[in-house]
Amino acid sequence: MRNRMQIVAWVYVLPAFILLGAFLVYPVLRTIYWSFFGRHSESFVGLDNYQYLLTQQDVLIVFRNNLLWLVVFTGVTVGLGLILAVLTNLVRYEAIAKAVIFVPMAISFTAAAVIWRFMYIWNPASFKQTGVLNAVITSFGAEPVAWITNTSVNNYALIVAGIWMWTGFSLVVISAGLKGISSEILEAARVDGANEFQIFRHILLPMLKPVLVVVTVTLVINSLKVFDLVYVMTFGNFDTDVIANRMFKEMFQFGQFGRASAIAVILLVAIVPFMLFNIRRFLAAR
Amino acid sequence: MKRGPYPAGPEGESRGDLQDEAFEDEEVRDEKEGSPEYPFGPPPAEEEGTGARLARAVGRGPLHAVIIGISILWMIPALGLLVSSFRERQAITRTGWWRAFTTPTEFTIQNYQDVLTGQGMGTAFINSVIITVPATILTVMVAALAAYAFAWMPLPGRNWWFLLVVALMVVPIQLTLIPVLRLFADLGLTGTYWGIWLAHAAYGLPLGVFLLRNFFVALPKDLLESAFLEGASHTTAFFRIVLPLSVPSLAALGIFQFLWVWNDLLIALVYLGGTRDVAPMTVVISNLVSSFGTEWHLLTAAAFVSVILPLAIFFALQRYFVQGLLAGAVKG
Amino acid sequence: MARVFYENVYKRWKETVAVKDFTLEIADKEFLVLVGPSGSGKSTALRLLAGLDSISDGKIYIGDRVINDVAPKDRDIAMVFQTYALYPHMSVHDNVGFGLRLRKMPKDQIHEKVVQAAQVLGIEPLLDRKPGQLSGGQRQRVALARAIVREPEVFLLDEPLSNLDAKLRVQTRAEISKLHQRLGTTFIYVTHDQVEAMTMATQIAVMNFGVIQQVGTPQFLYDHPTNIFVAGFIGSPSMNFFEVTVTGDADQVRLVDDNGLSLPVPAEKRRALESYRDKKIVFGIRPEDIHDPNFVPPETEVAPFDAEVEVTELMGNEVFLHLAHGETKFLARVDPRTVAKQGIKMELMVSMDNMHVFDFESEQRIFTPEEEGKVELDRSVEEEPAEEQVARRQSEVPQDQADQD
Repeated sequence: MRNRMQIVAWVYVLPAFILLGAFLVYPVLRTIYWSFFGRHSESFVGLDNYQYLLTQQDVLIVFRNNLLWLVVFTGVTVGLGLILAVLTNLVRYEAIAKAVIFVPMAISFTAAAVIWRFMYIWNPASFKQTGVLNAVITSFGAEPVAWITNTSVNNYALIVAGIWMWTGFSLVVISAGLKGISSEILEAARVDGANEFQIFRHILLPMLKPVLVVVTVTLVINSLKVFDLVYVMTFGNFDTDVIANRMFKEMFQFGQFGRASAIAVILLVAIVPFMLFNIRRFLAAR
Repeated sequence: MKRGPYPAGPEGESRGDLQDEAFEDEEVRDEKEGSPEYPFGPPPAEEEGTGARLARAVGRGPLHAVIIGISILWMIPALGLLVSSFRERQAITRTGWWRAFTTPTEFTIQNYQDVLTGQGMGTAFINSVIITVPATILTVMVAALAAYAFAWMPLPGRNWWFLLVVALMVVPIQLTLIPVLRLFADLGLTGTYWGIWLAHAAYGLPLGVFLLRNFFVALPKDLLESAFLEGASHTTAFFRIVLPLSVPSLAALGIFQFLWVWNDLLIALVYLGGTRDVAPMTVVISNLVSSFGTEWHLLTAAAFVSVILPLAIFFALQRYFVQGLLAGAVKG
Repeated sequence: MARVFYENVYKRWKETVAVKDFTLEIADKEFLVLVGPSGSGKSTALRLLAGLDSISDGKIYIGDRVINDVAPKDRDIAMVFQTYALYPHMSVHDNVGFGLRLRKMPKDQIHEKVVQAAQVLGIEPLLDRKPGQLSGGQRQRVALARAIVREPEVFLLDEPLSNLDAKLRVQTRAEISKLHQRLGTTFIYVTHDQVEAMTMATQIAVMNFGVIQQVGTPQFLYDHPTNIFVAGFIGSPSMNFFEVTVTGDADQVRLVDDNGLSLPVPAEKRRALESYRDKKIVFGIRPEDIHDPNFVPPETEVAPFDAEVEVTELMGNEVFLHLAHGETKFLARVDPRTVAKQGIKMELMVSMDNMHVFDFESEQRIFTPEEEGKVELDRSVEEEPAEEQVARRQSEVPQDQADQD
């Protein structure tokens, strides 16, 4: 009887296992394998692909960009989400404010890219500015900036678009964590003599740590995987390339399957520590 | 009074009333000046509730200014898109969209017409639907079956299998593109809907299984045990008891997956290729950007067409979407 | 001087009044228990004193100063919350010392005080642990330690025992009383459990619907409840009530009803009922004042009363009889040697000298002239120093109350 049930159980998980095996497990192994091969995966080239990638100037810029995303995107999104969570908690129209900030999560990165390209339009200085950002800064007397093509600012411009999209996530998750803190503890702190800022620093922040960690890890992983936004806004040009884009280029533009695999593996290596962290956290929770 | 889908803590409901109280008290207290310690107003002893006290410390005026200010800032990008999509080509290139309100004669729906027929957004919309709906259904079905097995069936080593499946959540899709592409080529699935349905289902499984299994496990054990006692098989239990009871989490997963697939670009690009007749809206828009980069009248309209459905779903079903999000992020 | 004075205090929420015309004077070193059912406003009254909610009307004094607008941290109070409200991410040591740390006390001084407080409550070995690793009783002590380390003028306790299991509750009750004796500070304690009130308080204030019903020592409230609510609330199992009519003439006043009840009123109570002749009143009698006719205690004036026994509960040291008189159900606590059994009709003896009578409409107590005198008497009892009161009552605590939570 038990054996029969076991068989039925296997039947239930079979579709999932087949799909996962075919689309996730097997490909990962294959990709790692092919990263040691040449452009059409015929000849074994050892570590050549990796060497190429880790020494090429433009590839190094790619890594730098992802690092920029990791630090700036994650940092600002978490920080902003935290501040907003604390602040919206205090007003009557909390739900509406949160909804407004959260809405961008529903739209595609593609649409977001269009929206922000539109925001960043650059017209020559003597013309009227039609992009919001340039209109604002020119009204203060500054010169219009080519946000998309100017290499000293364009990465940040893209990151801002990312922040716009993901702060809602950060806000909602942190807000949920915040509401889980019993108000009696805050009252006890007040009776103990803490003012509001001391409460924030000594009580709220430490108690929010687990939530902040979850949000941060999620955002870090997303910053490493970012593709759509960059693809549509700049196609990776003007030094804004990121790992995922570069891989796409290697695959479809340059036809270098070996290198593309290698870069994917590098991405995996970057993500593995966070994967392990997530798993460990999950095990601890069980 | 329920306040939207965002979870309220135990004090969530009463706090709303307390806030109103605090608002009333404010008028009375305007005459009192602040002490050095509380520059923005009287000391916290006079306010109710956890929130209002902190609000006092921060200062009511700045508080509202910041929140409302940020909210407005947040809406500007999307607003710009919406307004511009109704403006004529000339108007967009000449002046900023905020000027559009002074010359109402500029508004037109020509852009939408162009984009839907001429640029293929209409077809793309349908393609998006064709891609997304089956993919979502497939994901939910397969995930539910597996989740049930992990939750209630005697599968050897089921917790380890579950862990493995969930761990796959973090694998970047890029890592799988080339082998799958080659697999598709061998099987003749490139550029077909079946290929992309299966792909999306597979990629959505880790999160889906995670979400559903956690929900299934939390169902009352007695319910299922009494069913088994009465002779129900697992299949019966699954379809007659577990699924009906799990509608909220199924909905959460469904909506989450729907939006994810609808908004996806990468997988559509890679597995479907760029051919116009099967491309979903995301692909079409990205093509438009690369070929008509400055034809904003088209781009804005196209972008807006692509977001109507997600926005509608979002507003109608916020609750479930947020639930799905929270489950994935916070649980475990 | 740590006396506390509520002067006509009101607390209004949007549509309800949580605390109405609350006037109460609490002497220094008093152990005052605010008791009442859920929603009676007792916790609110406490929170008003703590400064966690604002006062709508009226004033509250601590010592001589009005503290309406003073921040909680400046009121020189400490509070123990129902859920203990310990900071989960800090060790026990840091939890207890948090308030001192905020006051920028030097570290070694903080440590010294924390250890001292920990010793008083017997939690020294737990100082390095986190709240999550402690049992409910241990957490409670940490909450208490956190309060005493501040050496406040007034201690506020909000239902601190309600999350403990019955046995621990009894133990901790005694420890809190001992703590009060040791510290000699004013304690204000909120609970819904009248047993806690009776066993720990030097003064009890009974509340219902935001209004103080009666204030007095435990014994006084037990003997002379001023209305039906207090009469039914204090004492467990609670007082039995019967609707009766007053009949008779100058020599013989009786309480009668349609079901054959006919009880003679003792001489000293007759005058009070004069104005109620032929009127309906409420007659109250405690279960412990109803006896098996074979085991009537001496020196009490008894009268017979017929009823049917529905259920008997053997408590070991006594027997609870669940009785029916017509439609009315009531309870008697009788000697364990009784032979009463389920289903029989029997005659019981009621101690009429402990009878209580209440006006039918107003539910207020009908006082005898002597009782009015007794109220004066009780005032003087209030002035008895709290420590002596506590010591006196330690010897009076009825043993069986512990089991009746």
